Amino acid sequence: MDLWGLLFSARLWFFVLMLVASGIVLLTVVWFERKAAARVQMRVGPYHVSPWLGGYLQLLADAFKFIISEPIVPRGAHKLLFTWGPPLFVTLAFGASLLLPLTPELRLIKDPNLLPYGLVFSLVVLLLVSIAIVIIGWSVNNKFAYVGAAREALLVAAYELPLVLSVLAMFILYGTLDPLKIVEKQSILVGAMLNPFAFLVYLVATAMATARFPFEIADYEGDVATGPYSDYGGVFLVLSFAGGTYYATFSYSFLASLLFLGGWNLPGFAVGGWPQDILGHLVLAAWVMFKTLVLMFFFAFLRAAMPVLRLDHTLALGWRGLLILGVAAVLWSTALKLAGL
Amino acid sequence: MEEYGIVLKEERLEGGRRVLDIFWGPQHPSSGHTRFIVEVDGDIVVNVTPDPGYVHRTMEKLGETRHWIQNIPLFERLSLPDAINVTWAYAMAIERLAGLDVSPRAQYLRVIMGELSRISTHLYDLGLHAIMIGSSTGFMWAYGLRELLVQLWAMVSGSRTTPTWVLPGGVRTAPPDAFYEQTLGFLQYLEKKIDEFVRVVIKNPVGYYRLKDVGYLSKEDAARLMATGPGARGSGIDWDARRVYRYGIYDEFEWDVCVEDGGDSLARAMVRICEIMQSARIIRQALDRAPRDGPLVGESVAHRIPPKQREKVNELVRLQALFTMMLPQGEGTGITEGGRGRYYFHVFGDGSEKPYRVRISTPSWQNLRAMIKAFIGARLMDLPAIYGSFGYFPPEQDR
Amino acid sequence: MSGTSIVKATVDALRVAARNFVKPERITIYYPYEKLDYGRMRGWIGLWTEKCTSCMLCARICPTNAIKMYLAPNNKRYPGIDYGRCIMCHFCIDICPTDALYPTDIKELTWYDYREMVYTPDMEREPPKVQEPYKSVKVVIKYINGVPKKVVQSK
Repeated sequence: MDLWGLLFSARLWFFVLMLVASGIVLLTVVWFERKAAARVQMRVGPYHVSPWLGGYLQLLADAFKFIISEPIVPRGAHKLLFTWGPPLFVTLAFGASLLLPLTPELRLIKDPNLLPYGLVFSLVVLLLVSIAIVIIGWSVNNKFAYVGAAREALLVAAYELPLVLSVLAMFILYGTLDPLKIVEKQSILVGAMLNPFAFLVYLVATAMATARFPFEIADYEGDVATGPYSDYGGVFLVLSFAGGTYYATFSYSFLASLLFLGGWNLPGFAVGGWPQDILGHLVLAAWVMFKTLVLMFFFAFLRAAMPVLRLDHTLALGWRGLLILGVAAVLWSTALKLAGL
Repeated sequence: MEEYGIVLKEERLEGGRRVLDIFWGPQHPSSGHTRFIVEVDGDIVVNVTPDPGYVHRTMEKLGETRHWIQNIPLFERLSLPDAINVTWAYAMAIERLAGLDVSPRAQYLRVIMGELSRISTHLYDLGLHAIMIGSSTGFMWAYGLRELLVQLWAMVSGSRTTPTWVLPGGVRTAPPDAFYEQTLGFLQYLEKKIDEFVRVVIKNPVGYYRLKDVGYLSKEDAARLMATGPGARGSGIDWDARRVYRYGIYDEFEWDVCVEDGGDSLARAMVRICEIMQSARIIRQALDRAPRDGPLVGESVAHRIPPKQREKVNELVRLQALFTMMLPQGEGTGITEGGRGRYYFHVFGDGSEKPYRVRISTPSWQNLRAMIKAFIGARLMDLPAIYGSFGYFPPEQDR
Repeated sequence: MSGTSIVKATVDALRVAARNFVKPERITIYYPYEKLDYGRMRGWIGLWTEKCTSCMLCARICPTNAIKMYLAPNNKRYPGIDYGRCIMCHFCIDICPTDALYPTDIKELTWYDYREMVYTPDMEREPPKVQEPYKSVKVVIKYINGVPKKVVQSK
């Protein structure tokens, strides 16, 4: 176990890169959400913290303000679940993206035969994120949080099945669940163009899962006063409301950029092994993160354009519209496979 | 083992009904300054008990303890977005009581500012309705437009949100020449932006399904429960105080009363949008015809102003004439159609300068029963949509 | 709404939002670097004691009872305004028969203590000095091609 081997280990670089890259992506996406919403809405958005950057560092100032505030635990709340809920939430949300490979060599799972299990397991971890939200809502001991947690539980049942159907459709199309082979099979025709139904279903299901507009129902401000997060303040709010939901969106978008948007395929760029070609791998990692960023920008822009859909309409959409589209996606993939693609 | 408090306790009512009572209280993002005790069975609202009175400022009693001209800034604060229409009703009551007449120029100016006040109220209500549905874009656009309107008010009267501009007998100040051109520019921008608002919030399928068939109030219920304003006109009742009572010079302009038949929140929101367009139409006609010169108050007030200051009565009205006037013994009523419904002021005078009794009826207080009827049977997530569609304003309700 | 009209309406809403994103119509005023020029604003109220005849009409008409009369050495009473109660409706200016009270458009007033808000007649002579820590420009909003824009007034 020599020092150089440890320093250049692919898994260490992957972990550090994911931490740094996800932090930068989150900062940029939150900045874009506030700035885009402000431009649409006749106002300026973040401005005063770093005017020469267009207010980019405003999120750091806000996060700092939250972290130095006094965290208050309400009297009747379940102390263990209240204090450990948000860290569990953000760990699960971020951990789902650690099970996927960033470039052919930068990944946490060393054995390439275990990579398909990594993909399926990341979907399972993302389901556990919703259970973390229900835990948070229960532990607050507040009627509004209780209603919000019940809504989240209903929503999980609505979006989870179409999500699995869309991944199943892509599995049928590619014939394998190994992320390395999936990215290899996508050339110019990325997965989104091969099976647009599956892409659409995945997008809508992700919006439902991570409380993006128009489906911000569990933590709806107008009705249940931000539901499960209503009694959280200080560092808990940064971890759960600002951190957890955005990290979940990051994980879903990362998975989508591997399945649907072509992953690390850069035409005319061949990359060597590790650690001979560090620069090439970094370029590919930046390309994947760029695709994730663009997808998250789409979700962030929806805040400026859409109101919020009602609970029973969303459930009807999930159980009727999305389910039909998901089955159509599976049939489309089967037809394409039988036609010899 | 810890026991949890409120969450697990549900009311067990007779018949085996189990409801969860939620305090939709003043500390809530979308309830305003009033409390509703909402009993929810699953997702359906079963019963709503209103708990008003959090903003009671004893305005009717205060009106009895001071000179009648000091009541004008007081009653303006009943509903600040709609400041002109409220004080117009009070001024009309005093004019009928004391037998004052209004000069023609003041009639035109009152119509212009009154319609601007109606647009201001509708923008306020539409903005709150949009954010209660969840669209922050609609909220910002409505209040951005209202910012431009408030600057127009500052140009005329000197204050952005509290004009204190209507006096019994006329108005207080005259608008400068730049006002007419700015108002036309504002109206052009308003129509363009309201069209975009409708496309992003109301015709957007997400917002459309949030408002359709929500909070249905049938025509018979609206008439029986005495709903007023867009709450009544959205259910098919064709009643507008400007047409029925013919106050001011509304008869000289061409305009329509906006009525929709749906009875749900979508119809009420569309009534508001339509009324904004009709108000813009009236303002354009009034701007063309308003005399640019002339006295701001009627003859019965103007002849009491000392001659040295009567020269300036075309620009600024001095208040000695009104301050030394006593209210004769009698009563006078003033009814105007504000943005949210009809305002009713009933002033009893007793020969001194303090009114004996001022009775106020505001549209939000009258719409309360109709709104409760619309709440029952809706889902929990519909409550903000219905609340915003009635244009409910608790300070006006509690006076 | 039928299926295709739902899709068309959603796309239309997104298009309106995207167009506003590309060409924003901002009217934000960067106070205190820019200040809006209203033209006529009801602000701080001043007093010229030589014109005052102690008729006390201003104190009688004030809707919030903000004006109190102070006895001066020449046995006349002059008004002093309590700015904690004043709502700047300018009724007192409009009723003064000798134009002793004069209006200004100063609204940017702050005090450290509520007792400093009570102005006596000798404090009412000169308008208070307003602190200007930033160099500010005056702007107005003009409608150019039907869209409001912020225009710097070069005065």
